[in-house]
Amino acid sequence: MNNVIRFQFTKGEEVRYLSHLDLLRTMERAGRRAGLPIAFSQGFTARPLMSFSFPLPVGVLSEAEYADFTFAAELGPEEFVQRYNEHLPPGLQIVYAARLPEKTESLQSWINAASWRVSLPGTSPEQVEERWRQLQAVDSFVVNRETKKGSREVDIRPFVYDIFQVESYQGGTVFSCRCGLGTESNLRMEELGELLGFSHLEATVTRTGQFKKVGNSYFPPLGNRG
Amino acid sequence: MDKRLLPLLPLVAKPARYTNQEVNAQHKNWAEIDVKIALAFPDIYDVGMAHLGYKILYAVINGRKDALAERVYAPWTDMQALMEEQEIPLTALESGQELTSFDLVGFTLQHELSYTNILKMLDLARIPRRSRERSGMQPLIMAGGPSAFNVEPLADFLDFVVLGEGEEIIHEIIDLVKQGKAEGASRDDLLEQLAQVEGIYVPKFYKPVYDQDGRFLSLEPLRPDIPREITKRVIKDFNSLPYPEEFVVPYVEVVHDRVMAEIMRGCTRGCRFCQAGIIYRPVREREPEVLKEQIARLVESTGYEVISLSSLSSGDYGRIGPLVRELIEQYQPCGISVSLPSLRLDSFGVELAQDIQKARKTGLTFAPEAGTQRLRDVINKNVSDQDLMDAVQGAFSAGWSRIKLYFMIGLPTETEEDLQGIVDLAHKVLAWGREFRTSHRRPEVSISVASFVPKPHTPFQWMAQDTMETLRAKQNYLKERLRHPGIHFSYPRVEESFLEAVFARGDRRLAAVIERAADLGCQFDSWTDRFRFDLWMEAFSDLGIDPKFYANRERDLFEPLPWSHLSPGIDADFLRREWELAQEGTTTPDCRWDVCSRCGVCPGLRTANSLVRGERSE
Repeated sequence: MNNVIRFQFTKGEEVRYLSHLDLLRTMERAGRRAGLPIAFSQGFTARPLMSFSFPLPVGVLSEAEYADFTFAAELGPEEFVQRYNEHLPPGLQIVYAARLPEKTESLQSWINAASWRVSLPGTSPEQVEERWRQLQAVDSFVVNRETKKGSREVDIRPFVYDIFQVESYQGGTVFSCRCGLGTESNLRMEELGELLGFSHLEATVTRTGQFKKVGNSYFPPLGNRG
Repeated sequence: MDKRLLPLLPLVAKPARYTNQEVNAQHKNWAEIDVKIALAFPDIYDVGMAHLGYKILYAVINGRKDALAERVYAPWTDMQALMEEQEIPLTALESGQELTSFDLVGFTLQHELSYTNILKMLDLARIPRRSRERSGMQPLIMAGGPSAFNVEPLADFLDFVVLGEGEEIIHEIIDLVKQGKAEGASRDDLLEQLAQVEGIYVPKFYKPVYDQDGRFLSLEPLRPDIPREITKRVIKDFNSLPYPEEFVVPYVEVVHDRVMAEIMRGCTRGCRFCQAGIIYRPVREREPEVLKEQIARLVESTGYEVISLSSLSSGDYGRIGPLVRELIEQYQPCGISVSLPSLRLDSFGVELAQDIQKARKTGLTFAPEAGTQRLRDVINKNVSDQDLMDAVQGAFSAGWSRIKLYFMIGLPTETEEDLQGIVDLAHKVLAWGREFRTSHRRPEVSISVASFVPKPHTPFQWMAQDTMETLRAKQNYLKERLRHPGIHFSYPRVEESFLEAVFARGDRRLAAVIERAADLGCQFDSWTDRFRFDLWMEAFSDLGIDPKFYANRERDLFEPLPWSHLSPGIDADFLRREWELAQEGTTTPDCRWDVCSRCGVCPGLRTANSLVRGERSE
């Protein structure tokens, strides 16, 4: 019997500014408070077997974060959700969980795309749509990406797949988009801002989904996985 | 939190410092509470969240229906700049209320280099700095903590100061404030009543007198019914004392983020340089059964992965061995580890460390403090060469490869021989490492050398601190001789130790210097990259005050001292006796296991050491 549970959770306003490491610590401690029988790795430095999808940038909200927990004892998904939710701090909530079949690909090797909802103050839907039309006409948009090894040029145009539901909202604009995520086609928030002409610090960004993109189809890590 | 900070959060480092909403944070109904207390820590969240004293007070105060305690930390400079620019005053984390809405704002005085932060926080809160400038509805500013035992440099800024342990006296304070508010008592009336409480010092009711040469003569009470001497509060029944059942669990990484069990309070080893060893007397050990219950509750309510057994010298706790082993047996299977903040420097200490660090044997730290047996006898650090050898050899044989040793320079009677002793010891440890190591890693030794700061209420309170030039020369002596593969030498800057020495034994005239330094931009002085010695020196010179008068002047053994009215219960004769024994290199045994050293605490405070049953685990 495989004892891995994959679950989807939210990261709300209350915990918006947690870094990825803060989040891991918080989830681990909540797991211990809830008495979840999380299994530990073997070896000198035993670590709890908890693996997460790609880190969310600090300050970004999410409706669709994912993690896989391995358990040392039998625990059903429903009981897991109920017990864990009782002990998670406000803003973190499990929305769905399922037992994972044997030999499922890890989250980080499965996921290669994400959908985002971006709320921009002081911008009109027309401006966003015009910008997107211009971008669709070009096939490259090169930015400098700072890494630990220095700076290098990256073409980020191919990493934005589509923009949709562009609407006016509270005097600004809210829109959704799908972009690359992960190791190969990753798009950073500040780069999305640069592409679409907004400051990512002024935007309210929510990750609304994570997917495996195959052609033009998007498969989430839970539920319909293609 | 204060909603006005929300738009600033994306612009600052570690915004989760300011957002509150942590697990176990207490949110009370503001309107229904009689007495509201802000527990202000004069440093950033990441540092302040480690403070056990505030965790205890937070639980004690919030345990009452009529009172609340909220946390306040210094915002880091990025946030400060934004708050000033947008004219947002300092607020408390839980309710987001401005500090001016509280009845009491408390500051804990952990060390001298935090003093400018207190002024900065008052400024940010728009509370006048000086007690005499505050009036009417403004909160009473109180302070406590180890540096309260010479609070004189801060006296003008504080309305009242609490000496000693806070668990009982805080109730008396709350009751008086509640009653005062109900009766509409004036600020001064309330302070007068507080001044009657044992352990409370109201600085404005006293006036210092200096002689023509500027030496302190006396502190005169300005009202007839004000005590001439204030004696600290001490908890007699340590086992029945309430302990927090919950700690606030921070989101961001903070110092000592773990379950802290206070296994013991006080230390009677009698190291002559150590102020904590004096002001927290007597020794009170908590029963293992009480501790285990407290730990279980905290583990359950926090989900922490580490349990720390806290005290001034945890290796001395009477049942430390069995306690550590039982806790490991119970918690290790759940992925929770046990840690000790300090290790006893002998083979027993290493055995304990072995129980604790089964897996990752990275480094072990010991504090011999001085390089020769002679000087260790002078400072009454009762550790022998043999203990040291057993501990270090034992550590290498058990698999450790890195040993860190703490020393001090500038101790009384120190000669070149003692410095050479540090050098010799470093090389000896390295040689033992090569001989005894079982790890595949190459042995390494880190030598950390602090400059000694003479502290009030210790046997060394009269001595002159070495001048900065002398301390630098000693550092250079060591640096040249410790340049060797496998030896790492580090030392804090002498300027920091110098300033600590000035304020540790300062008087009320230094308030103006602190104020001037704060105006010049000094804050976060304990952060090495923020420390501005040049600005501090400018502040001293602006006020025509010579800092060397405080740091580098030897006091006469019978000279009046500016802190003598703030009593930890110690006999001045005991301190003088200890000073003389130090000169002869005669040690004084620990009164826990040997004869009474007649320090005066037990009879004076009507208390006694209280040890757990069972022989000392040696």
